[in-house]
Amino acid sequence: MEGKKIAVLKFPGTTCELDVVKALREAGGNPQVVRHDRFDPDEFDSVVLPGGFSYGDYLTAGAIASSSEAMRGVKEMSDEGKVVLGICNGFQILVWSGLLEGALLENINRRFVSKWVFVKVIDDGTPLTKGLKGRVLRLPIAHAEGRYYHERLERVKPILIYSSERGDVSEEYNPNGSVMNIASVSNEAGNVIGMMPHPERASFSNISPFGNPDGLLILRGIVK
Amino acid sequence: MTLFEEEKRTIRERLGREPSKEEWSVLDAVWSEHCSYKSSKFFLRSLPSTGERVVMGIEDWQDAGAVDIGDGYALVLKVESHNHPSAIDPFNGAATGVGGIIRDIISKGAYPIALLDMIRIGELNKERNRWLLRNIIKGIGFYGNSVGVPVVGGELSFDSTYDDNPLIDIACLGVVKKDRIVPSVVTEPGLSLVLTGLTGIDGLGGASFASRKLSGEDEIGAVQIADPFAGKINIDSTLEIATKVEAIKDLGGGGLAVAVTEMANGLGAVVELDKVPLRVKGMRPEDIMISETQERMLFAVKPELVDEICEPFFRDKYPCTVIGRTTEDHMIRFIYEGKEIVTLPSEFLLTPPRFVWDFSYEDKPNSEDLPQLTEGVIRRLLSHPDVTSKEWAYSQFDYEVGTSTVIKPGEADAAVILLPNGKYLAIKGDANPDLCASDPYECGKMIFAEAYRNLATVGGKGIVAVDHLQFGDPRKPKVYGAFIEAIRGISEASKVFDVPIVGGKVSFYNENKDGKPIKHTPLIVMAGLLEREPIRPSVKSGQVLVHIGIARNEMDGTLASRVLGFRGRLQRARLHEDLLSSEVVMKLRYPFIKDISRGGLLTAIFPIIVKGYGVKLNLESIESDNKNDLVRMLSEGSGRFIVATQDPEKVIQSASSRGIVAKVIGEVNDESYTLHLREKYDLSKEAEKFVKYLEEMLNVP
Repeated sequence: MEGKKIAVLKFPGTTCELDVVKALREAGGNPQVVRHDRFDPDEFDSVVLPGGFSYGDYLTAGAIASSSEAMRGVKEMSDEGKVVLGICNGFQILVWSGLLEGALLENINRRFVSKWVFVKVIDDGTPLTKGLKGRVLRLPIAHAEGRYYHERLERVKPILIYSSERGDVSEEYNPNGSVMNIASVSNEAGNVIGMMPHPERASFSNISPFGNPDGLLILRGIVK
Repeated sequence: MTLFEEEKRTIRERLGREPSKEEWSVLDAVWSEHCSYKSSKFFLRSLPSTGERVVMGIEDWQDAGAVDIGDGYALVLKVESHNHPSAIDPFNGAATGVGGIIRDIISKGAYPIALLDMIRIGELNKERNRWLLRNIIKGIGFYGNSVGVPVVGGELSFDSTYDDNPLIDIACLGVVKKDRIVPSVVTEPGLSLVLTGLTGIDGLGGASFASRKLSGEDEIGAVQIADPFAGKINIDSTLEIATKVEAIKDLGGGGLAVAVTEMANGLGAVVELDKVPLRVKGMRPEDIMISETQERMLFAVKPELVDEICEPFFRDKYPCTVIGRTTEDHMIRFIYEGKEIVTLPSEFLLTPPRFVWDFSYEDKPNSEDLPQLTEGVIRRLLSHPDVTSKEWAYSQFDYEVGTSTVIKPGEADAAVILLPNGKYLAIKGDANPDLCASDPYECGKMIFAEAYRNLATVGGKGIVAVDHLQFGDPRKPKVYGAFIEAIRGISEASKVFDVPIVGGKVSFYNENKDGKPIKHTPLIVMAGLLEREPIRPSVKSGQVLVHIGIARNEMDGTLASRVLGFRGRLQRARLHEDLLSSEVVMKLRYPFIKDISRGGLLTAIFPIIVKGYGVKLNLESIESDNKNDLVRMLSEGSGRFIVATQDPEKVIQSASSRGIVAKVIGEVNDESYTLHLREKYDLSKEAEKFVKYLEEMLNVP
């Protein structure tokens, strides 16, 4: 296999690791599932924290995994400027571990929400969104704790925001009550990104209800 | 204890002694209706279970049946209910229902790929039913989402017959390489018996609990507690080691007592109960034997492989312990503190007395007087909760995990998933309690036919089915008579469609607090392969509507007869019409095909109106044996579809070449939310209710 070596980190309770691997391959990457206790950050060019319910989410989603030894390795990669992508539960872990700021609270309707949404790319200063500014993507979400919150909004760097199909942004299109309709943020340097929508589930035209594998546009940024 | 006096006598006679209290516990669990099928087995034998594709059928099925789906793969499927626990603790009841059925699939070494949930519950004007439904859906999501198996479809319907006794049926499908299916039984002595997980005091006497009616007393101890994180470790680790073990059984009804007895399958086994890792101290030995705590598996393992088997479990700090071994003495022995407390012959445990109870049939007088189809009737039918969108429920399920859900929940009459061999599989579960209340034999045929038609609408051809028979107390002659008739109907349909039944389940004692049985609710889950790429349902203005089949004046058992309170003549299934008309539609390449079932033609075209189009129908052109508009619009019955197309001639030709009637009956237009029959009705209110009904009824935190 050619391409950058991408670690897809599996904690006990992770459910999306094989889906992410399948999608990264579709995007032309060279991914590999790595168990959290076998993870060597030096072996990889980038890392994805896939969705699921790490450690059952038995405290708060992502909290237990965030303090694992593996996250030190993820931090090292982030410090070296390597791309770190957290999807859904992965985003929750990144926030808990302090690699991203803010918090992911319980959805405003207090339920798990699984549906397809539109998100608008508002920042192309990250490897994953390069050249996509202004594009509206159609991706699925599936989470119970996805309401992004930050006390000091000036410190937040939103990447994707929930919108209409045409890119209008209003509360009507906000599926979970996130502040500013935020679906994804990055760190200041732009190499650590957390997103609630699942790009891997929108990477195959035959399972996308609209035929468009928009998720690949995002994932290609990590394999390049 | 649920053993009958007659069984207790048999036990004493055949053992030649009085059993110990621990032995009574084992016998009560192993011989419970739930585990032994003592009232049903006689009739279940008549279900067709063989066929070209069958890899594992009724003769050799233990935990789940399997069929060949090509390229070296087998599909494993199973359906089960968790009705009694869900009535008491809906969250844990429904969640453990999901866990239990997934464990049945992984115990065959198969990777679980999809779940279906079929829920029947009392009407939502009662707070208790809203509480039940909220927690049932939450529980299914809690478990299914956490372990990463998508819920891809199901049914949700409402009837006061389920006020005290909701039905929660969960089906699971899995795939495994055909030559790697793991047996559930052993064939050799000297194997180590390895148990994973902790045993607790939840789920005590669950099998026995499920084998009697709900008492209304404190029965919470019989409900198992759901722990999906433990479940996930158990699933992942079990699949990792599945090819290295001799046999796998999940611990379900009857706990260790039943798992060990069934796994030994006539051979002997000895278990040291002191070795069973416990969640709480001080459990009595009889409780350790029958506890139904979730997230446990039993493996039969070559002794030299035990360390290797336990390695993945230990890695995640999960208990994995040798508790005994198989022996050649054909006795099941349980030892506690050095003392043998259970010594029972295997064969004796495996051959409980079979019962055939008295049965009788209900004859219900039918009237021929039908009401008229008025605007009020149309609005009432379309506002019925069974007709409304179920998005509130399925949006709480992670139906996209696995990146294989092609046709999603709510999109069509059946779900479609992508299999690992690149083929597409359609799946659907169907029941029809109203028709079963009138005639369980016709109902048995009809639900099988409906499942077959549902698959055809997305291009699938049924290849395999499992059934779940849910009835009241089998010792009541009318209930037992209905049970026998339903099996007869299912069995006949299975033969006509050449779709074998490779597994099933029986759930008796579903009654309300006054001892009144639920409407008989047999259920069929069917899977079929697609012969083409799936087409996502969609509809366009300007399309022509073609009706396939005949609207017959057989209204008894329809949704209309229940809602409007009349009977009419009995519906009769016409299986050959179903077979032929299904062939017509499964070969079409049109994006809107719906079968006509509950609610008739009216509810079949309603999804078009809900999407913001108008529908105009010419009632006279609907082929019918009756001139009453009510029959034309609301009759259900066999062999019928509605197709939206630009090319009606092709449909009509294809149908007529098979001797099936098909006619153009109307069109889709731009007049938003309208239905034009003899008059035009604005249905925007009904369309709004369709979308919002469940949300508004249930979204009160």
